[in-house]
Amino acid sequence: MSPVPYLQFAGITKFFGALPVVAAPFNLTIARQNFVAFLGPSGCGKTTLMRMVGGLDLPSAGAILLEGAPVGGPDRRRGMVFQSYSSFPWLTVEQNVMFGMKYRDDLLPAQKRERAAHYLNLVGLRDFGPSFPNRISGGMRQRVAIARTLAAGSEILLMDEPFGALDAQLREELQVELRRIQTEDAKTIIFVTHDVEEAVFLADRVIVFSPRPAVIRADIDITAILGGARDLGTRDGAEFFGLRTEILHMLRSAHAEVS
Amino acid sequence: MTAKSGPVLARFFVFRGPLSRFTRIMAGTMTAAAAVLLWWAAPGLGWISPIFLPTPPVVVETLWTMIRDNGLLTDAGISILRVWGAFLLSVIMAVPIGILMSSYKIVGSALEPLIDFIRYLPVPALVPLSIIWFGIGEETKIFLLWLGTFFQLVLLVAEDMKRVPQEYFEIAYTLGAKPRAALTSVAFRAMLPSLIDNLRITLGWCWTYVIIAEIVAADSGLGFVIWTARRYMETGQVMAGVFVIGFIGLATDQAFRFAHRLAFRYL
Repeated sequence: MSPVPYLQFAGITKFFGALPVVAAPFNLTIARQNFVAFLGPSGCGKTTLMRMVGGLDLPSAGAILLEGAPVGGPDRRRGMVFQSYSSFPWLTVEQNVMFGMKYRDDLLPAQKRERAAHYLNLVGLRDFGPSFPNRISGGMRQRVAIARTLAAGSEILLMDEPFGALDAQLREELQVELRRIQTEDAKTIIFVTHDVEEAVFLADRVIVFSPRPAVIRADIDITAILGGARDLGTRDGAEFFGLRTEILHMLRSAHAEVS
Repeated sequence: MTAKSGPVLARFFVFRGPLSRFTRIMAGTMTAAAAVLLWWAAPGLGWISPIFLPTPPVVVETLWTMIRDNGLLTDAGISILRVWGAFLLSVIMAVPIGILMSSYKIVGSALEPLIDFIRYLPVPALVPLSIIWFGIGEETKIFLLWLGTFFQLVLLVAEDMKRVPQEYFEIAYTLGAKPRAALTSVAFRAMLPSLIDNLRITLGWCWTYVIIAEIVAADSGLGFVIWTARRYMETGQVMAGVFVIGFIGLATDQAFRFAHRLAFRYL
C-alpha cells in the first residue's frame, strides 16, 4: 500500500479552444512543505498548471489531487500571490492582511488581530500596518500579499512570478526572505518563474518545462546539491553556478528544437 | 546653449516644460479677469447695446432682485430636486444593471445593442414624444433626464466593472470568498473611485437636460425663469439665471471632487 501523495497532477491535459497548453497527459507529485519552482519560457503553460492547483483553471482531462481528493475550485487552502494587483490599494497593509481572514469564522476578532501582527512581523512589515500600499515599495507590497496568504491559513502558496517587477537588488533580498519565511512557516510553495537563478536559489526542486505544449524537460533536486539552507553566499558557490549553467543549456536546446 | 538670455515670455513657452503653481494660478485668473473686463467694456464703451449685454454690476443687481422679490431660490430648489430625483433614479437602476452586464456575458450581449441605440437618440428630439406620453407634469422632466443619463451611465458602470483586474477576484476566491462576496467586498470597492467620477459627470448632463425640459414644458424651475425672461427681453435676468446654473454646477462638481479626494486618499 503506497501512501497518498500530498499534491498530485494526475494525467492532466489542457486546451484553450483548439490551442494545446498541455497536450500529453501531465503527471507530477509534490511533497508536503516542498518548495518547487516551475521554470520555463513565457507561455509554456507553467502558469496554467499552477493555476489549476489553485482551482482557478480546470484541466480539460485529468485532475489535481490534494491528499487524494480532486480540486474542484478555489478555496482557502491554496493561496495566490500575483506579480501585480497583489494587494488591495484601498486597504492599509494591516487591513490587507486582515482581509486574508475575512472569511474565516473559526477565529475570534482578537485572534485575527494577533495572527495579522504575527505575520506582519514575519514578513518584516511590523511598522507599516497603517500605511496604504501606494506609500510602500513594490517589494513591500509583495510581502503584504505573502503575509495575507499565510494569515488566511493557506497550506500551499501559489506564486506567479511575484518578484518579476522588482529591481535586481530588491529581488535578491526578497528571495532570501521568502526562503526564510518558508523555512519558518513550513508551507508548500509552487513558484512560477522564467529566471533560472531565481528558481535554483529558491527551490528545493526545479521542474524545467519545454515550450508549449508543456512537457517536463527535467526534474532537478536542488536541495540534494545545494542543501536546504540558502543565503546570499549560496549564489557564489560552484554548485550554484554549475546548476545554473546546466539548466540554461537545457532551456536553450529546448528553444532551438522548437525554432 | 542656454535659454537664460532669451526674452521673458520664452520662459513660459517651453514646449511640454514645467510651470510653477503661482504662474499657473495667475494665468487662469488673468484670463478670467480679461473675460470679465471685456464683458464690462463692450456695453460700457458702446460696442454692444446694454439691452443685449448688460454690464456685470447690472447682472449682479438683477440676480439679487430676483432672489429677494421673485423667489429665484425656490426655482433653483425645484430644478435641483428634479435633477437629483432623476439622477438618483438613473443611478439606482444603472449601477446594478451595469454590474450584471459585465458580470454575465449573456446579460451584456442581450442589453448592449438596445442601450447603444437608445443612447444615441438626442434627448431634445424625444421631448414631443414624452409630452404626448406624460403631459407637462413632473413625469416628463424625470423621464427626459433619466433617458439622457441612464443609458450612458449603465455602459460606464459596466466598463468600470470590466476594468477591475481579474487578480482581485482570484485573490478573493482563494481566500475563501464566494463570487457574490468577491463582487461586493472587493470588485465594487475597486471600481468605486471611477464610479464616483462617472456619477459626477452624469450629474452634469442632468443639468443640461433639466433646462431643456423646463424650457419646453414647465411653469417653474430655472429653465422656466430664463425662458420667461427672454420673452420680455430681460437679458439681465436671463444671464443671472444662467449664472445660477453655472454656480450650482461648479459647487456640486467641487463637492464631488472634494469627497473623492477625502474618500480615496489611497489613490
